[in-house]
Amino acid sequence: MASGPSGSASGSVSSLIPGGPSVTASPGIPRVRNPIWGFIVRRLLLGAFVLILVSMVIFLATQALPGDTARAILGRTATPASLAALREQLHLNRPVVVQYMLWAGGLVRGDAGTSMAAQEPVTKLIGDRIINSAFLVLCAGLISIPLSVLIGSYAALKRDKAFDVATSLTTLIFAALPEFVVGVTLVVLFATTVLHILPAVSLIPPGGRPWDQPVGMILPTLTLVLAVTPYVARIMRASMIEVLESDYVEMARLKGLSEWIVIRRHALPNALGPTFQVIALNLAYLAGGVIVVEYVFNYAGIGGALRDAVSNRDLPVIQAVALLIAGLYVLLNLLADIATILVTPRLRTRL
Amino acid sequence: MEEKTSRQPLVLKGRTLTRRELLIGAGMVAGGIALGPVIAACGTSTSTGGTSTTPKKGGNFRLGVTGGGAKDIIDGQNIVTKPDQARLVAGFETLLTYDENYNLTTDGLAESVTQDAPDKVTIRLKQGITFHDGKTLSSDDVVYSFQRLFDPKQGLFGAAGLGSVDPNNITKVDARTVRLNLKQADSTIPDQLGQYYNGIVPVGYTRIPDLTTKSVSIASSNGTGPYKLQSFTPGQQSVHVRNPNYWRSGQPYFDQVTIIDFPDPAAQVNALLAGQLDAITDIPFAQVSVVQAHSGLKVLESPGGGWLPLCMAIDMEPFTDKRVRQAFRLMADRQAIVTQVLSGHGRIANDLYSPFDEGFASDLAQRHQDFAQAKSLLKAAGKDGMTVDLHTTDGAAGMVDVANVFAQQAKGAGITVNVKNDPNYYGDQYLKLAFSVDFWGTRNYLPQVANGSIPTAPYNECHWPPADSNYLSLYKQALGEVDKTKRIALKHQMQQLEYDEGGYIIPFFNNLVDAYSTKVSGFQPSKGTLNLDSFGHGFRTIWFG
Repeated sequence: MASGPSGSASGSVSSLIPGGPSVTASPGIPRVRNPIWGFIVRRLLLGAFVLILVSMVIFLATQALPGDTARAILGRTATPASLAALREQLHLNRPVVVQYMLWAGGLVRGDAGTSMAAQEPVTKLIGDRIINSAFLVLCAGLISIPLSVLIGSYAALKRDKAFDVATSLTTLIFAALPEFVVGVTLVVLFATTVLHILPAVSLIPPGGRPWDQPVGMILPTLTLVLAVTPYVARIMRASMIEVLESDYVEMARLKGLSEWIVIRRHALPNALGPTFQVIALNLAYLAGGVIVVEYVFNYAGIGGALRDAVSNRDLPVIQAVALLIAGLYVLLNLLADIATILVTPRLRTRL
Repeated sequence: MEEKTSRQPLVLKGRTLTRRELLIGAGMVAGGIALGPVIAACGTSTSTGGTSTTPKKGGNFRLGVTGGGAKDIIDGQNIVTKPDQARLVAGFETLLTYDENYNLTTDGLAESVTQDAPDKVTIRLKQGITFHDGKTLSSDDVVYSFQRLFDPKQGLFGAAGLGSVDPNNITKVDARTVRLNLKQADSTIPDQLGQYYNGIVPVGYTRIPDLTTKSVSIASSNGTGPYKLQSFTPGQQSVHVRNPNYWRSGQPYFDQVTIIDFPDPAAQVNALLAGQLDAITDIPFAQVSVVQAHSGLKVLESPGGGWLPLCMAIDMEPFTDKRVRQAFRLMADRQAIVTQVLSGHGRIANDLYSPFDEGFASDLAQRHQDFAQAKSLLKAAGKDGMTVDLHTTDGAAGMVDVANVFAQQAKGAGITVNVKNDPNYYGDQYLKLAFSVDFWGTRNYLPQVANGSIPTAPYNECHWPPADSNYLSLYKQALGEVDKTKRIALKHQMQQLEYDEGGYIIPFFNNLVDAYSTKVSGFQPSKGTLNLDSFGHGFRTIWFG
């Protein structure tokens, strides 16, 4: 996964928390008893601010580039009439700031514009596809997160034993493979060449839902699980090893607590903190990695919509999907920070 | 209307048909007016390519097609993407048809098409053909179909080929007879009536999605074709069910046809290998051997006539000197280009187009790579050792490859060709470049000339013909000439001019390479424009068994 998520334990949690120890709620934010709520509200505002910045970048990169946008979109099918109609539709005759405000204002009202290829509202075009992609990411996340935490923890406990060596090697190999290689290999193994027990592509009929055909979900989900699990498992192992060598775990053991209690009460929560960050990064990465997997399995998700939109130069769809993925990044990072704080008393008290 | 016929995808530039049948039918003239050629009833041959020869009914035929997306439409007279072609032929039919050998036949909706005079064409419909909604096909529908083709708001491709038809003078003679009055003599009208995108639609027909309401409502789909539309989601799939009142007895055979869009050709092949599809279009060349090795699958390779020309503008430097153009044509190793660009799935060409035309000049000597001759021509023109830019883009498969391979070969003549791969190629620069790559599908010679080789042609890349040439007057004579021998002689003169001094380097004609499951019978290789034997003639000459 050369371009994949880089699981790094160095992303220290405290640096992700704005404000520092002295927490005085800013004006307008209601005082709440549990400080975590103040933190969430602050982070939501920050997230909204980030999204506004991202939306500006997306807009500038797609619509406000120098040159004739309408001609770039229409290419060889450009006629004077179609150019004029497109300039009207995208408000290209107005100043850039006005164009942006019209677009952003529409987004706030839930109107992402009209797809230029399909001539129907973007929200209608990608609505079902969002559900399909979200379900795929959810399946992959629900399997890969517990699995990688288990593998990582157990490998740390059995450090340098057979299980640890075997999983280290396996996770390294899978981490090195791009997911289209994994996907295609799974297709060859289970669908087309070696065995013929699973479908090679996921054909979700229009209006249908992916969970109506669970058998079609197996290979795409497995591909994503194999893409994500190695990173998280390796971080979990590293962080668990660090924790198991810490003074407080040694103290807990010296006090005569059972090993199970030591692990469950003292080691695991502390080891999970850094892992949450990596999980969030990987889940957010899934939103992008899902594009590759959807392509391999012909899965009707946002990846297909984005790919189609790029080849059609369908700006409203490109903008909407890019912003959606950016929003997901912001949201997942927020969730990871909250989860980290909840499992880390030291951070909780600093709020 | 000219400005509305904007450049369409490769697949739309279908070819027209040979006119052999016209002369076979000459003399069997309807109505006693023996002025011109007639197409009389000559059915297609009924050979089959599958495993069983007795058609069986039933089953859901699943077809995978690449190249579709949110732009997909269903229109009896238009396509935007490749899956649109499959959906069109399932539901709609043309007045004339062509067989697998590229001959026009009256196997379509017309009983006969008669060119009473060089500027009059009379169409007589078959009896008892009904639309999906039960309405009987009549001359009113034919008149409406032509008027719709000419409606600039629809932006339909067929209007370009029917340019000599007077849109205001299409007359209904009786319930089954329509007369087209031409603005000028034109012998190519029957060719156009067999083009799949000139389908016959009922009075009041609208496409999907509707142009004004943008709604995807299948209620408006109504043709005479073998399958009725049941559902359609652009970019994903469509379902078509058997038309129980279809006019050809016994056909079609499937209960249902499902057409599924695939963005990735590899996923499409996997789905075929896994048994999730029964046929697919356009296998990647690298996968042909994989499919051939599979006992349950067959490759259908059809000798099509698509071409990717390297275009030298004859009025721009360095190509104003015809010796430079001749030298460049001698620099190409055509067989090597077929091998490297098409993996061998094509045939070498000779800088001439329309290989299936009745008048194709196959007698002109095949050009081969000849660096010595090329160098001496360049030296004589004072252009030896020069550098030139070759512009291309990913407009159709192979356009960038053919430029790169040619640039490599040109080094042998001491010429440096810099390949410029420009994503905005079809924006501002197209048709204004000295040296560029373009793509074309197949059509017959005169319609192709109208599209690419005369000053009024919408895509005249080479700025052909030279000002002092009699090419244009030969073209006008050929268009109005109803005598086949004389017409062929005129076309030959035109091709000789292009062969000697033209601006096209045409290295090859490519094949269509499709695949299907051995569970399906009835497919056969065809010279037609469309993949998979015109999708099994609208999925009606193929069956499970």
